[in-house]
Amino acid sequence: MSDVSPSPALRRGLGDHIILAAVLVLSVAMVAPVLWVIGLSLKDNAELMANPNSVFHPPYIIDNYIAIIGTSAVFRWIVNSLIVSVGLTFGTLVLASLAGYGFARLEFPGRQVLFVIVLFGLAVPEQAVLVARHQIFSILQFHNTYQGIILPGLSNAFGVFLMTQYFRAIPKELDEAALLDNASRFKIFWKVLLPLTLPAQATLGIFTFLGSWNDYFWPLISATRKEMYTLTVGMASVQSNFAQSEGVGFLMAQAVFAGLPIFIVYLFFQKYIVTAVSGAAVR
Amino acid sequence: MTAEIDIRNVSKRFGSLTVLEDLSLKIPAHEFVVFLGPSGCGKSTLLRMIAGLESIDIGEIFINGEPIGHLPPGQRGVAMVFQSYALYPHMTVRQNMAFGLQNISVSSKVIAERVANAARMLEIGHLLDRKPGQLSGGQRQRVAIGRAVVKEPNAFLFDEPLSNLDAALRARTRVELAQLHQRLKSTMIFVTHDQMEAMTLADRIVVMNNKKIEQIGSPMDIYDRPATRFVAGFVGTPQMNFLNVTALATEPSGVRVECGALAVVAPFDAAAVGRATMLGIRAESVSVVRDGEGDIGATIDVLERLGDRSLVHARLADGQSVVANEAGQTRLKVGERIGLRFAGDKAHLFDADGVAFHVREAVS
Ligand SMILES: Nc1ncnc2c1ncn2[C@@H]1O[C@H](COP(=O)(O)OP(=O)(O)O)[C@@H](O)[C@H]1O
Ligand SMILES: [Mg+2]
Repeated sequence: MSDVSPSPALRRGLGDHIILAAVLVLSVAMVAPVLWVIGLSLKDNAELMANPNSVFHPPYIIDNYIAIIGTSAVFRWIVNSLIVSVGLTFGTLVLASLAGYGFARLEFPGRQVLFVIVLFGLAVPEQAVLVARHQIFSILQFHNTYQGIILPGLSNAFGVFLMTQYFRAIPKELDEAALLDNASRFKIFWKVLLPLTLPAQATLGIFTFLGSWNDYFWPLISATRKEMYTLTVGMASVQSNFAQSEGVGFLMAQAVFAGLPIFIVYLFFQKYIVTAVSGAAVR
Repeated sequence: MTAEIDIRNVSKRFGSLTVLEDLSLKIPAHEFVVFLGPSGCGKSTLLRMIAGLESIDIGEIFINGEPIGHLPPGQRGVAMVFQSYALYPHMTVRQNMAFGLQNISVSSKVIAERVANAARMLEIGHLLDRKPGQLSGGQRQRVAIGRAVVKEPNAFLFDEPLSNLDAALRARTRVELAQLHQRLKSTMIFVTHDQMEAMTLADRIVVMNNKKIEQIGSPMDIYDRPATRFVAGFVGTPQMNFLNVTALATEPSGVRVECGALAVVAPFDAAAVGRATMLGIRAESVSVVRDGEGDIGATIDVLERLGDRSLVHARLADGQSVVANEAGQTRLKVGERIGLRFAGDKAHLFDADGVAFHVREAVS
């Protein structure tokens, strides 16, 4: 009734406006560089050299993209990246689910110790094991093979941890009800529990795929033959000018090109990615 | 077929904690048995041992004469309804009910028939294509029962299936469960800590406490002739009155029991003399009379008006408290002096170990 203090509805309206403004500013901050990159990718390299500001006006050309597609190996690299990313994602989901089920549901001696060892894996950076891994893979002749690129990523401590927690959160009474329903252990895993972990599978799958697609470090080391490059490594290999003072347009076209598959994945899995990321933030 | 369940000398421990000790119990076919006891007394554990969800440490359980200790849960011919219902969240109601039958390769025609029948009986036909998340608590409960019914088990095991329902729904479901039992005639074992549920549902009640069975009997048996002080106190609302016995003597007309200034004479079992330490009597066997009349005088502490009757909480001169029952809506007032009359032949005596002595059955 008072006309001094604003009503809750009005205050909420004001809060909404502030949030909206913040979202707008942040969105512009996020989108501007992307647009800039796309703009640069559509410019002639020489023109950009002469005047970096030429990005703001035509002519816009697609020569840089034609040059990329003209690189004979580029489709091979895309296929390599797809094989590696899909293989790694699939393998990670299978292994992490089985391990998670095991840690959450099976009684076996040493379970706790083993789980702690897995958790320690979270704290070991890739760089620390690089040399040893390189040696081992040399002996096994895994370099320049798909398994050479995929295998290291399969030991995903975070994935095992995530799935273990997820399986643990499922009430044991569901297993028991299924036992009374004459389901075998595998059937309980496959038909009752696994479907309930779908949100976690989506989270883990998406993060694994994105991480694998964008990975540069290990493929660069393991894949030394051009036809085994992944897209990221391949793209980097055709940059003749490492100071990146020239050919900025071409460079940016590469960035856009490499990001396209991710963009497509995002379009398809938008819903899951949003929940995956926000879920990760809440927990 | 329906199951006769024979539990012989069963013990169970979890680590160093003994939950059940040398427990034996025979449940005839078709019977509706209720395991009643305070929470933590091992009711669920015993039920889960019958179901096969807990191992049997010592002893054996027989169903229709066959030992079942070595059989996996699915092969014991029992179905269980969990307190949390444990419906599969990602399956529709129909799939929930069909799952157990599919696993034993029942033909899809038979499955469809049984699901339809059970759905009709439980009035959940319109819910078959919904998932558990889209159901109310009461509906989930029905689905959980339906999932058990379609298996046509020899025995149903219910673990506190009504405790998540509100009071009105609980009362209704109780009646429906009784009807279900009438209809299916299967053996049913029902676990609860709620004596009201036990009294209304059971053919026989098994009262459990502290690792063992206190008493097995019909609801009226348990109510009228509790075997131990625990049973006497656990069953019945309000709780039975307990008074300390100060003197016991045999008289021509029976046993004279004195509790301070109160004296009750009734044909108690003569074995009680010299042993009983406690007198127990239900509120309905204590009536309020005018001050100066009855067996002893008292002062009213609290009045509970329940509509059809009133509970009178009275205090004796020596400080002991007694609850009496008055039919209808009382005109008594708190603080008023009254007399209490004890129906001695409805009283019970208990010795120091809690073992009960009753009045001798009337011989006519
Ligand atoms: N899996 C278990 N491990 C250890 N202790 C248990 C387990 N299950 C039950 N208990 C213990 O056994 C006792 C009886 O439990 P329960 O049978 O569930 O009691 P009730 O159903 O009568 O409430 C309790 O003290 C409980 O803590
Ligand atoms: Mg219980």
